[in-house]
Amino acid sequence: MSVPSGLITAAEVPADMSLECGVVIVGSGAGGATMAAELAEAGVDVVMIEEGGYHPTESFTPDTLRALRTLYRDGGGGMTVGRPSVLFAEGRCVGGSTVVNGGMSWQTPGQVLERWAEQEDVRAIGERDMDPYFARAEARHSVGLQDPETIGRDSELLKAGAEASGWSVVPNRRNQLHCAGTNCCTSGCPTGAKRSMLVTSVPRALALGARLFADCRVDRVTRSAGAATGVTGHFIRPGGVRGPRLTVRAPAVIVAGGAIQTPALLARSGLRSASGQLGRNLSMHPNAHVIAFFDSDVSGWRGVHQAFQVREFTSEGLILTATNLPPPMQAALLPAYGRELGELMADYNRVVTAGPLVTDSGAGRVRNVPGLGPQVFYRLTDATAARLVRGVELTAQALFAAGARRMLLPFDGAPEVRSPGQLRDLLARPVPKRSIQVYSIHLMGTARMSEDPRRGVTDSFGAFHGVPGLTVADASLFPGPIGVNPMETVIALAMRNARYLLERGLLERRERYTI
Amino acid sequence: MLAHHRTDRVLAEFEQVLEALAPAARKGLAAAFVALDQGARLYPRSRGRRFTRLDDQVAEAYVRALLSRGLLAELVQRIKGLVVMCYYGLPAVQREIGYDPAPYIAAVSRRRLESYGPQIRAGEAAVTSKQSTRNGEQPGGDSGRPGAGP
Repeated sequence: MSVPSGLITAAEVPADMSLECGVVIVGSGAGGATMAAELAEAGVDVVMIEEGGYHPTESFTPDTLRALRTLYRDGGGGMTVGRPSVLFAEGRCVGGSTVVNGGMSWQTPGQVLERWAEQEDVRAIGERDMDPYFARAEARHSVGLQDPETIGRDSELLKAGAEASGWSVVPNRRNQLHCAGTNCCTSGCPTGAKRSMLVTSVPRALALGARLFADCRVDRVTRSAGAATGVTGHFIRPGGVRGPRLTVRAPAVIVAGGAIQTPALLARSGLRSASGQLGRNLSMHPNAHVIAFFDSDVSGWRGVHQAFQVREFTSEGLILTATNLPPPMQAALLPAYGRELGELMADYNRVVTAGPLVTDSGAGRVRNVPGLGPQVFYRLTDATAARLVRGVELTAQALFAAGARRMLLPFDGAPEVRSPGQLRDLLARPVPKRSIQVYSIHLMGTARMSEDPRRGVTDSFGAFHGVPGLTVADASLFPGPIGVNPMETVIALAMRNARYLLERGLLERRERYTI
Repeated sequence: MLAHHRTDRVLAEFEQVLEALAPAARKGLAAAFVALDQGARLYPRSRGRRFTRLDDQVAEAYVRALLSRGLLAELVQRIKGLVVMCYYGLPAVQREIGYDPAPYIAAVSRRRLESYGPQIRAGEAAVTSKQSTRNGEQPGGDSGRPGAGP
């Protein structure tokens, strides 16, 4: 495996090391890598630190289990404390969650930006303020519509069912350079067509002189006289063995570990927010899956992941989409055991898996628990549960309209439904909240922005209130859920906040690097 | 519950999955396995045997009995999820259910390069070009605001 210049893995570090730089960035996902590229381009001496390993495009295969082991934190098996427990996944590799997400790129809805400005006291966040950054983000990551030959039948069926019901359906905007439609988004794109940070901002930052330490876990943000002064961490050897220490001294620290790891790192560094909001206000955009069986072949894996979104119900906080799952994940999801599971899986190629993505309320919290590390507590509110059930019902209606013969719903103990009438009858009775099988990959809100230090952890530009030199740059910043896929919002905010740091003269620049 | 001739390979996969889990989850899972295994002795149809000693029918009945018991049900579902993930991760099993993505991926990857080679090369080269906002061609035509589909 060849490693790009400037990228240092644990294997190359034999002993403890320390270094100095202009800015140290924790995390190489949508926020961290974007910050790195923007600041390196402006001539700042950038060091990135990534806990996960470096896995180049040519190493990616459709092997789901291998991907879970190498690209995800804790094998993709994050679970919240609460009933129902929510299964969630975080990327942990160079490029972060952008390497394993579906590649959906949507701008923050205008009404969300408006709410952040008016109710959350966030400055310079209107559509006019953000539009240049969305444009820049979309250009860098080749955001656009899918080439038509790559759209799979599962997506077509959900679209047909929704349109037969008279519902609005939009093609998904994705960060892709002529995506081939391999349907391997969640295992790492094997062609590099998905323009994740791994193939965009990370190599750009490296080409501009940034350094990136992979396989290195940051333990603490260091401070002196109240200001951030750098980070300490350690490399991770194969098998999780603790390796040499890394100490980085820098006048600016940017934390971009995602909405779980960022508040956890800040809290274990002894940082507190006067707002009391650090680690609180977690939103998850919970989702649930309907599994519909058709008479004819679907083979949803032959075509792109989530080609369309049903947007008819956005005012209710619902987006519906079809998500083909590889066999290991599909089997884990199916509410069946033994022989029955085998029979259902025998119909794998006749299945459409689809469901709602729900705008929730910030009812979660991240806490460091001694001996266990960061733990996520999440309460599915009655309102969010009702939305999930409604989203499941709408998804099932669309799939029946598309010709599905029978369906499994994501409620423990629910019988198979074979007609819209059975669906209505089943959902006429209350669905116990704890019986809903809930998943999430969108984690937001645990270091929320607000100019008011009593309300927000950071100011409008991600600067941690009361700690000079410390900035947050990931979805932790969101004051609330945004109702659409969050990656583009994270990237655009990082571009905006990088410019703010530069324009305010908050970062030292050296001679500008050129490519 | 598993195709017996594949048990060793499933267990090998399972061991690797366990290594990827958080230490706390690993410990919890180990405890859950012991509880599942030994708990079977209390199940009337087991006649005092551990789960691993049950024949398929009794084992399946035991699991179904647990599924009606709140927290235990959740635990059983998580364990089941991990085990069947390992089973359906085996390429031979995937082929049996008609999932064989490698030839498909090779074909569509080839098609991509044949159809769009110059644009792809331009887009990739632009990553490290001087101009920071570029992608070799214009992005899709709509505004990107939710609800603003073409």
